[in-house]
Amino acid sequence: MSTPTDRPDKDLTRSRNSFLGDAWVNFKRWNLKAVRNPFVLVVSLAQPVIFLVLFTEVFGNVAGAAVNQGIPGISYETYLVPAITIQVALAAAITSGIGLVNDIENGMFEKVLVSPMNRTAVFLGKTAAEMFRIAIQVSIILGLGVALGTDVTTGPAGAIGIVAVGMLFSLWFLALSNSLAVLTRDQESTIIAANLLQFPLLFLSTAFLPLDSLPGWVQTFATYNPVTYGVDAARSLMLDRDVMTVLDVTAFGGTLDGVIPGVVVLLALDLLLGAVAVFLLSRASSSQAR
Amino acid sequence: MPQQRGASTEPRTEREPADDRAAAVDAEGLRLTYSDGTEAVRGVDLRVPEGEFFGFLGPNGAGKTTTIKVLATLLAPTGGTVRINGFDVTERPRAVRSTIGYMAQETSVDEELTAAENISFACEAYGVPRSERADRIDDLLDLVDLADVADKEASEFSGGMKKRLDAATALVHEPPLVFLDEPTTGLDPKARNRLWEYFRRINDEGTTIFLTTQYLEEADQLCEQLAVILDGAIEARGSPADLKREVGGEILDVELADDARERAAAIARDFEAFADATVDVSDDGITVTSPVARQYGTDLLVALRDAGLTVTGFNVRAPTLDDVFLAITGEELDRETEGSA
Repeated sequence: MSTPTDRPDKDLTRSRNSFLGDAWVNFKRWNLKAVRNPFVLVVSLAQPVIFLVLFTEVFGNVAGAAVNQGIPGISYETYLVPAITIQVALAAAITSGIGLVNDIENGMFEKVLVSPMNRTAVFLGKTAAEMFRIAIQVSIILGLGVALGTDVTTGPAGAIGIVAVGMLFSLWFLALSNSLAVLTRDQESTIIAANLLQFPLLFLSTAFLPLDSLPGWVQTFATYNPVTYGVDAARSLMLDRDVMTVLDVTAFGGTLDGVIPGVVVLLALDLLLGAVAVFLLSRASSSQAR
Repeated sequence: MPQQRGASTEPRTEREPADDRAAAVDAEGLRLTYSDGTEAVRGVDLRVPEGEFFGFLGPNGAGKTTTIKVLATLLAPTGGTVRINGFDVTERPRAVRSTIGYMAQETSVDEELTAAENISFACEAYGVPRSERADRIDDLLDLVDLADVADKEASEFSGGMKKRLDAATALVHEPPLVFLDEPTTGLDPKARNRLWEYFRRINDEGTTIFLTTQYLEEADQLCEQLAVILDGAIEARGSPADLKREVGGEILDVELADDARERAAAIARDFEAFADATVDVSDDGITVTSPVARQYGTDLLVALRDAGLTVTGFNVRAPTLDDVFLAITGEELDRETEGSA
């Protein structure tokens, strides 16, 4: 039946993959999927855009006054746009776990595990694709903000900074979303759990109103809410002034006093939740009998 | 009854002795105990030489899929040693992965990607050189007959088309060994035949195939060697012909009315020529398994008529793998969607 000469040459281990190559393959796959399924892209943009319009139209006058007590002379739109960029990052990060659950359900997760690709590179590629998408979405919101007459005071460099803050902010929620996905292995549970977190996190922060004008217990929550750190860092860049009130840092001078503490807090959170997600993912993909 | 882990007692003339060939699959004392204490696989020895078309049979829950997942590095064995293409599954899992193709029981395709994109992703996952990729994708699409829908998203495909696409993605790196876990379950006969043809072809080209199936006819048609697993242990092994021989002769099916079956069975058991035969009451009569079923079958029919029983039909036939399976496991292989392939 078989003749040994027919065999492929003896270099049986024919995988020529490199770590970055494996990451790139998965980066491409997830980008392709995002393009194929623009619905997810549009919906995760639509909600924040609706917020931007509704909030400025309905609460603009009232909230604008509250904002101007602390920061005189800015419109509520200008105040809100950085918060909406963070909301976009949050909304987009929620869908990350859904992609993972889908992969587990349709067998692609196992298919990837049985391939010789480096598993860390596989998840890195997926995460990079999602952060890439988030960068584009945050840029769209900033563009929309400019179209609505707001101004990124720090210019193009500041705009890039806001995008970077959005990506940094998304990472801890990406990790959380994937952790939920691995734990529940169920699409609906993942969506519900992640969505349930979204609104309390947004409202109990400095996203829509300054810290001073929030009720006491909300202030307390906001002080420990990651959204506050993302929003304040983005807003400091938007307004070119230190608007971070939860941490009083003066070491860097000016705007950076509002940006750097936020970035540091987000980095620490990313590392912590990233480690949890990596642990859960490697447990799920390790070849141990469950 | 088939012998325990016995090769046939008769000399194998149709093939070279297995041990001259290198082992594609070499498992000794393979065990897998789940963390809840379930012993899914209890000390299985398997040796599949390179180039063989090997069939792994057993009822649902017997340990087929668990075994295949250990062989494919998706589960770590809790005991024994497993070498695939010469690489130990626990020490060199990535070497094992790059030298095997694996088709899971559940169809695994990315439905948001087109057929060509699915194969392309697999090519990249397995490090197929860029220069060969385009040709490889075209060849595989032709092979599984999906060339005309290459750029359609897999979500639009029928179950059979997805299975074929799944099969193509398992073969992008021309692996010397392919694991197929019930590859044709749920397919219509036409799609199933097409996959069979395809598996035969790659086997003819030298690929070792490790197949599990619910369709005994499939095993009979395709496999050179079989092993039957029951409750996590191998119960029988040999070529389909060996196993059928071990059933012990030919089978006489006699159709009788309901109330006549027990009496007929008693008469058959007392029948002198069938003293060593196995007599069973079946769904529509009795079956007699005996080396002399053909010679003395008519005599038994006469004896039944003389006893006043009405025989409504009869047939003498060679044993099938269904009979083998029944003899080994005491149950018929359950088949949710038995087609007429």
